Amino acid sequence: MNKLVSFVFVFSLLIFQSCIEIMDELIIHDDGSGTLKYAINLSSSRVKVNSILALDSLDGKKVPSIEEIKTKVSLFKKTLSLQNGISNISISENYTDFIFKFECDFTSIDLLQEGLRKTFSITLNDKSILASDFSWLFWDSKVLERSVPSIATNKLNGITENDLSLLKTGTYTSITRFDRGVERFENPLSKLSKDKKALMLRTDTYSLKEKHSLLENTIYLIPN
Amino acid sequence: MQLKNIIFLSFISISTFLYAQKSETLIPKDAVTVFSINNINLLQKISIDELISYEFMEEIHQELFDGSTSGKTLKDAGLDFDQRFNIFYGKLDKCELSGFTFGIKNKEQMFSVFDDFEVTAYPNLNGAQVYQSFFNNLIVKNGAALLIRVEPSMELIDQVTDSIWYARGNENPYDYYEEVNEDVLNEEIYDENTQVENSFPDATLDPNEKNYNELRDSVQLVLQREQLDKILIQLFVQNDNLIRLDPRFEIQLTHPVEGIFYMDNARNIDKSSGLWYFQTVLPSLYKNIQELYSGNLILGDLLLKDKSVEFVIEVLYGEKLGSIYTEMNSSHFDKQVLKYIPESSTAYFTYNINLRKAYEKAFEVIMPLLEQEKNAQIAMNVLTIELLNEFVNKDALFGTYKGSMFGSFNGIKKIKTKKIEFFYNEETFEYGEKEAEAEEDMPIFTVGFSIERNDIPEKVLKHLGRLTSKVKNVGDYWCFENAIFDSAPLYMINKNGLFIFTNDQDLALNHSLGYGSKSINNVKFKNAKKSGFMYANLDVKTTLNRFPKDILSPRQNEMIESLRGKSGSLELRSSKTTKEKTSLNLTYSFSGIEQSGKHLLDLINTIYVVSK
Repeated sequence: MNKLVSFVFVFSLLIFQSCIEIMDELIIHDDGSGTLKYAINLSSSRVKVNSILALDSLDGKKVPSIEEIKTKVSLFKKTLSLQNGISNISISENYTDFIFKFECDFTSIDLLQEGLRKTFSITLNDKSILASDFSWLFWDSKVLERSVPSIATNKLNGITENDLSLLKTGTYTSITRFDRGVERFENPLSKLSKDKKALMLRTDTYSLKEKHSLLENTIYLIPN
Repeated sequence: MQLKNIIFLSFISISTFLYAQKSETLIPKDAVTVFSINNINLLQKISIDELISYEFMEEIHQELFDGSTSGKTLKDAGLDFDQRFNIFYGKLDKCELSGFTFGIKNKEQMFSVFDDFEVTAYPNLNGAQVYQSFFNNLIVKNGAALLIRVEPSMELIDQVTDSIWYARGNENPYDYYEEVNEDVLNEEIYDENTQVENSFPDATLDPNEKNYNELRDSVQLVLQREQLDKILIQLFVQNDNLIRLDPRFEIQLTHPVEGIFYMDNARNIDKSSGLWYFQTVLPSLYKNIQELYSGNLILGDLLLKDKSVEFVIEVLYGEKLGSIYTEMNSSHFDKQVLKYIPESSTAYFTYNINLRKAYEKAFEVIMPLLEQEKNAQIAMNVLTIELLNEFVNKDALFGTYKGSMFGSFNGIKKIKTKKIEFFYNEETFEYGEKEAEAEEDMPIFTVGFSIERNDIPEKVLKHLGRLTSKVKNVGDYWCFENAIFDSAPLYMINKNGLFIFTNDQDLALNHSLGYGSKSINNVKFKNAKKSGFMYANLDVKTTLNRFPKDILSPRQNEMIESLRGKSGSLELRSSKTTKEKTSLNLTYSFSGIEQSGKHLLDLINTIYVVSK
């Protein structure tokens, strides 16, 4: 249990205290199936990440070794692969530049969210995730609603004043792609691609911490 | 006749003064570390909440840190400021004890602060009244008080609890706590396991029978009481205290200074759990080690001056250990090291020893002790050491590492690193990765060693350079790419009888022969040179407040935290080492209008954190 707590603690530190680049890409086909891609890039904080990993513990919490992190990632992958409606899971781990990429296919948005909810709960050994609001996507073949899952916003809220400046250098990019064109969207920060089938939204991690709704969007597609 | 009267009157005054100071007579003889503050008038204005926020109060602060202390100072707590305030810590085989002793002027006021204590009936303690709260014990006698906390060792509590638990025919209570198998992915099994993991051992069916945790609590309480009884009987019935046990402590108390420090290292060695193997398996060797350490004591005086707090430390040791230390410290100061400390350095140290002489003396003193031991393993080790001593080229070994070294912290600098950047096509939002330059903050350190045989590291580096392209000879220095955290280069300079490691590119590129006129000034140079085996200088504000805490261990951080937020400088100097003692002088100079008492406490706290 302690290992798990340490893992989450240190991972949160790495994520939120370092200069970080996060990118997510959601591809949704007309039938509701699709692909989710997620990438975390810590390469511009290699010194900081390596210095943390070199410690036995930080602020009283054990710092996991790279082997322990690999084991945890492998458990996440195995657990997710057993969930209904989720397939072709791929996770690449680069421990030199500290870039982590995740990708999976899903048959429906609901099964994707349910699968991730269970997988996070088991991997982090945190039953409260099962009861938490883990719905951040809604899709009805014409409209897609996106928000930020509470598991992520809770982590952002826990950041101390001292570390806030570090967030300002981090970026978050969210891309959503469809089979057909976008008619309109509600988040004015979004940018539409030339072929009108993709939307991109970019912000810094500090602004996201200050205003979780920055990544929220309701996207209306051109009817079939 | 007049002279006689003066002497007589002086004697009466001193005697009265000594007898009036009785809080120190309540320090248990098992205390191995003691801080005794003499001039506690300085502390009158310090709020209790502030006082108990110090690390040295942590063991006993829980109950004091409540609403009753809010907005109150030590003056409001009814303390007698004519008596000493003594903080102590001790470790016994079976328990740890900590606490403080002080004089009482107004008992009623004192209990308005210590309002959680209730009077407890105790066997006759010669008039001492015992008050207890959940964690602590307060014992009052004749205008002085002892606040003490006794904690039996976890090992002993577990041992006694297990013994009773199994004697009653119970099963292993921790069967319930088996780790959940992380490979279990089935949701149903996972749910069952987490439910079990969060539950405590069940209470027994019979409400009069204790479960394991209840039994453990009871055992802890009984052991606590047993140890406390022992200490209180020693103190109040047998009148056995630290002053009676150790005359050196008594003498230290007479020093006309603001505070004194006492740490009995010889007794610390006795109680060191790390030596259990020697104690049980090699008792005669353990006895020899004890003898070697006998007389090992650290005594200190705290002096408060206008703009500084000084800590004068005497490290005393026995003859055998003293002979090793004397040889070790009989080294000429290597002036070359000072050329490599820039004037702008905010922290630096020099360490000046003769490792070869120390080795030879240690060989002479320690080998006969080992040779006496009739143990096969020790005999083999002795043989190995003897052979190594004969065959190893000591000229080459100690010519490469003489023992003297220096180090400096030259602030935080931006260093160039590489990073991978995501980039996006602005029309399609397709993305890719590209390598880019990055900058990260890095503390800049330099560590150097005196060396006679600089050809040896040169050989090692030359061969390493053949093995990996990361090690390169760049003329004036060697560079090891990505050596630090797989991100930043390490530079090695092999010149002027020194072998230097640094991550300071400026030093390697532009100052491989030293900083010249930019090195530390003459005053600092002389201070370091005049000091014995050790000298350290640290600008608190520019060093500790900027020091990146991420790269330090929690223990090191604790030490740094105790000084963070202060201004001023710390200087550590040592005297010449003799066969009996070495003196160290730590000066904390400060500016500004902060209370001197607070600075004194800050320094005590730092020393406590370092010594605990």
